[in-house]
Amino acid sequence: MKIPRFSRKTLCIPYAVFLVFFVIVPMLVIFFYAFTDSNMHISFSNFIKFFSDPTKLSTIVYSLVIALITTVICLAIAYPVAYILARSSMKRKFVILMLFVLPMWINFVLRVNALRELFNLLASLDGMEWLSGSNYFKTVFGMVYDFLPFMILPIYTTMLKIDPSLYEASADLGASGFTTFTRVTVPLSMPGIMSGVTMVFLPSMTNYVVSDMLGNAKVTIIGKFISDYFGNDWHMGSMIALVLLIVVFVSTWLTGGFKSEENVRGANL
Amino acid sequence: MNVKKTASIALAAAFLLPSLAALGGCNSADTIVLRVYNWEEYIDEGGKGTFIYDELHELDDEGEPVKDENGDHVHIQSDIVDEDYLAWYEETMGQKLSEEGPRLLDDFCLWYEKTYGQPIRVEYSTFGTNEDMYNEIILGNEYDLLCPSDYMIMKLAAEGRLEKYDKSFFNASLPENYYVRNVSPFIAKKFENNAGLAIRKDDAGEEIYWKDYAAGYMWGTTGFVYNPAAMDGNLEALLEECDWEIFTNEEVSGRITAKDNVRDTYFAALGVTYQEEAHNQAQSLAAFKAQYDAGELSLSEYNEGITRIFNATDDETISLVEPHLMDIKKNIFSFETDTGKADMVAGKIWLNYAWSGDAVYAIDLAESGVDEDGEASETALLNYYVPKTGSNLFFDGWVMPKGANKQAAQAFVNFLSMPQNAMRNSYYIGYTSVIAGEEQEMLDYADYLYGYYPEEEYEEGEEYEEPVEYDLTYFFYGENYGDVSPILLPAEPEQATSRQLYAQFPPEEVIARCAVMDYYDKEASERINELWSRVKSETLDTWAIIVIIVTVLVIAAFIVYVKFGAKIDFLRPKPKKGYKLVKQEDPNRI
Repeated sequence: MKIPRFSRKTLCIPYAVFLVFFVIVPMLVIFFYAFTDSNMHISFSNFIKFFSDPTKLSTIVYSLVIALITTVICLAIAYPVAYILARSSMKRKFVILMLFVLPMWINFVLRVNALRELFNLLASLDGMEWLSGSNYFKTVFGMVYDFLPFMILPIYTTMLKIDPSLYEASADLGASGFTTFTRVTVPLSMPGIMSGVTMVFLPSMTNYVVSDMLGNAKVTIIGKFISDYFGNDWHMGSMIALVLLIVVFVSTWLTGGFKSEENVRGANL
Repeated sequence: MNVKKTASIALAAAFLLPSLAALGGCNSADTIVLRVYNWEEYIDEGGKGTFIYDELHELDDEGEPVKDENGDHVHIQSDIVDEDYLAWYEETMGQKLSEEGPRLLDDFCLWYEKTYGQPIRVEYSTFGTNEDMYNEIILGNEYDLLCPSDYMIMKLAAEGRLEKYDKSFFNASLPENYYVRNVSPFIAKKFENNAGLAIRKDDAGEEIYWKDYAAGYMWGTTGFVYNPAAMDGNLEALLEECDWEIFTNEEVSGRITAKDNVRDTYFAALGVTYQEEAHNQAQSLAAFKAQYDAGELSLSEYNEGITRIFNATDDETISLVEPHLMDIKKNIFSFETDTGKADMVAGKIWLNYAWSGDAVYAIDLAESGVDEDGEASETALLNYYVPKTGSNLFFDGWVMPKGANKQAAQAFVNFLSMPQNAMRNSYYIGYTSVIAGEEQEMLDYADYLYGYYPEEEYEEGEEYEEPVEYDLTYFFYGENYGDVSPILLPAEPEQATSRQLYAQFPPEEVIARCAVMDYYDKEASERINELWSRVKSETLDTWAIIVIIVTVLVIAAFIVYVKFGAKIDFLRPKPKKGYKLVKQEDPNRI
C-alpha cells in the first residue's frame, strides 16, 4: 500500500471546510436574516429602523467610547511595561512577564466574579460608597483588567525583535534618548501596537459578561444588545450584528490590519 | 514499515472499540430514547443535597455528612423516608434505595423497564430561558418532552407545535395514570380554564386549553425577598406601605434589584404604574382590591380584572409604563438573573425581586448563616413578600412537541407525579410541585418541612410561640371546596406570614391577587422589545449622535487621505502651470 503524500493544497482542505461551514455560511445566514422581515420577505425595514433609532445608534456610540477608553488605558499601561521588560537586562524578567500573563490562564468568568466581590468589599468601606453606583467605571476597569495581557504580549514581542544596534546607531548619530524613542522605538514597535489595539478594542465592544457582572447589567454595550434581540427578534439582532461587523471591518482596515496579507503565500482555494 | 502499520492499526482499534461498544449498547433495537428538554437544575440530580441523601445521613450544622471513627458516613433513620417509603421504592424500581441518593432519571429507566418491559434511555438537556427553548424548537431540534412556562405553553399551542395528551391520560381509574390521580385539584382547575387568560383559537378554529396540551410540574409566585433588619427594622413597614412603588422609592435606592428580562420587569413596572392610578379605562390595582375586599367583586371578576391589567401591551400602556421603567432603572442596584440571591445573603442589597423558589433558596441559604449559639448575623433572617395589590402566578408544565413519542413522554410525566418523586423534586428545586397526592401525601411533606409542634419540643415552663393554623385546603380540594373538613397545618407565625412556608405554599388570599402572564403577539412583542432596548441603553440626544457620526466620518476620511491620498490622482494637489502630473510609482517597489 502506498502512503498518500499530502500536497500543501490538500492540507488546506480541512481549514477550508471549516471556514465555509463555520464562518461563511453563518455570515450569509446573518445577512439573510438582517434583510428579511418576520414573514421571511426581503425587507429593508430593519436597516431603516436601525439607522433612525437613536437608542441603537447611542448604544453603538457608547460601546465605541467604552472600547476606546479601554484601549487607551491598556496601551498606556502596557507600553511602558513592555518597553522596560524588553530593554532591561534583568535576569528574571520572565517572572514579571508571567505575573501579567498568568491571569489569562485562570477562567475568565471566575476572574470577573472575583473582581466583582472585590468591588463589593471596597464599596462597603467608608468613603468608597460611590463605587457601588459607578457602573461605567467598574465596566471599564474590568475590561482593562481582562484585556491587558493581550496588549502587553504583542508589544513586548515586537520590541524584543528590535535590533539593539539600531539604538546604538541612533546614539552615534547624535540622537537624544527621547529622539531615539520617538524615531526608532515607536515606529518599529508599531506592528505590535496595532495588533494589541485590535485585540483589545474589538472584544471590549462586545464582551458583555463584564458589563453585566461589573456594570450590574445597567451598562448596555452592543454585544448585550445583540443577545437581547436574539431572544425574540432574530432579524433586528442580525442587522445589529451586521452593522457591528462593518464597524469592525472598517476599523481593522483603517488600522492596517489587512496589510500583512500582501505577503502571505499559500494555496488559494 | 510493517511494524509501524500493525501498530497503527492496533492503536486505531483500541480507540475505536470502546465507542463501537457504546454504540451497540445504545442502539439495540428495542431501547426507546426519550428526549427531555428541561430548565437547568430542575429535576433531582442525585447525590449530596438531595432529599434521600439528606434524610438518610446524619448532617452537621453546615449540612456536611458526619463521619464516624472509620471515616464512614453515619446513616440514620428518617421520619419521612421511612420503612414504607423504602418498601415502596424497592417495589417500584425493583431494587433497594441507595443512601447516596440516586438520580431520578436513572430511577425512571428502572421503573419504565420494570413496568413496560422495555429498556429506555433518557437524553436529557437543559435550557436557561423560555425564549432559548423556543428558538431551539423553531430551529427544528426534536424532543419528546419540554417544560415551558405558562405563556410559552400558550404560544407553542397556538402555533400548532404541540401534541395533545391522550384522552386515556386523564382517566383516573387506570392505575398507571399517576398524574391525574395525584395532581392538586386547584392546579387542575387552573389548567382547565387557562388560569383566567383569554381563550385563543388554533388554525382550525378550535379553542385552546392548557389541559389538553400540558401537564403541570412546578408553580409559584413572584415577590420580594427582603431583609427585615435593614433600615433599623423599618423596611418591612415601608414595603407594606409602598408595595410595588418600593421599586421607585428613594429610601431603598441602590438596595433593590430587578430581573434582567423584559417579561418580569415589564410586569413589575405595570404594577408600579397601575397600583394607585387608574389609566386607560382600567381602574387601579388598589381600587380592584378594595372592591374585592368589600365583596363587590367575585373572586373570578377580581382575578380577571387584574390579569387584564398585568397583560396590557397596547401603545398607550407602554408609553405610560416607560417613565416608570426609567425610574426603576435609576433606583435599582442591578438588573440580575441569579446574582440577587448572593447579594441578598451578603447584605449588599435589601430587596430582591424574585421567583418564590429562588426566595426559598435565598432564605435557606441565609439561615445557614446562623451560628451555633443561635446568634443571627444581620442578614441571617430573610423574608418574602408578595405585593398586596397583586403579583404574578406562574406554572411550568410538560408539553409534547409534534412528533414526540407520546407513550414514553406520558409515562415520564406520570412517573414524576408519584408523590414520593414529587417530594424529591420539590426538595431539590425549591419550587412547589403541582402534586397534592391521592391521599394528600404532599401534606406530609409540608408537615415534615414546616410543621410546628412546640409542646413536643419544649419542656414545661419554657416560653414558646403559639403555632398558628395554616390553611392549605384550597390546594388539596381546589378553590370553592365547599363542605370539607379544612386542612390546617400548625406552623410558626413567621413561617405563615413571611418565610419559606409562605413562599413555597402561598395562602389562598395570595393566589387570589396573582395574575398569570399571557404571551405577546408579534406586534406587541416588537413594541415591548423596543421599549426594553430603550430602557436598557442610554439614549443620546439626536444632535449628539449627528455630531459624533460626522466627527467619525471626518476622521475616517482624514485617515484615508493620509494613507492613500498620494496614490489616488484626483486627491493630489493640482500641478502648477507648466508642470505635469506623473503617475506615482509604487513606493514599495525597490
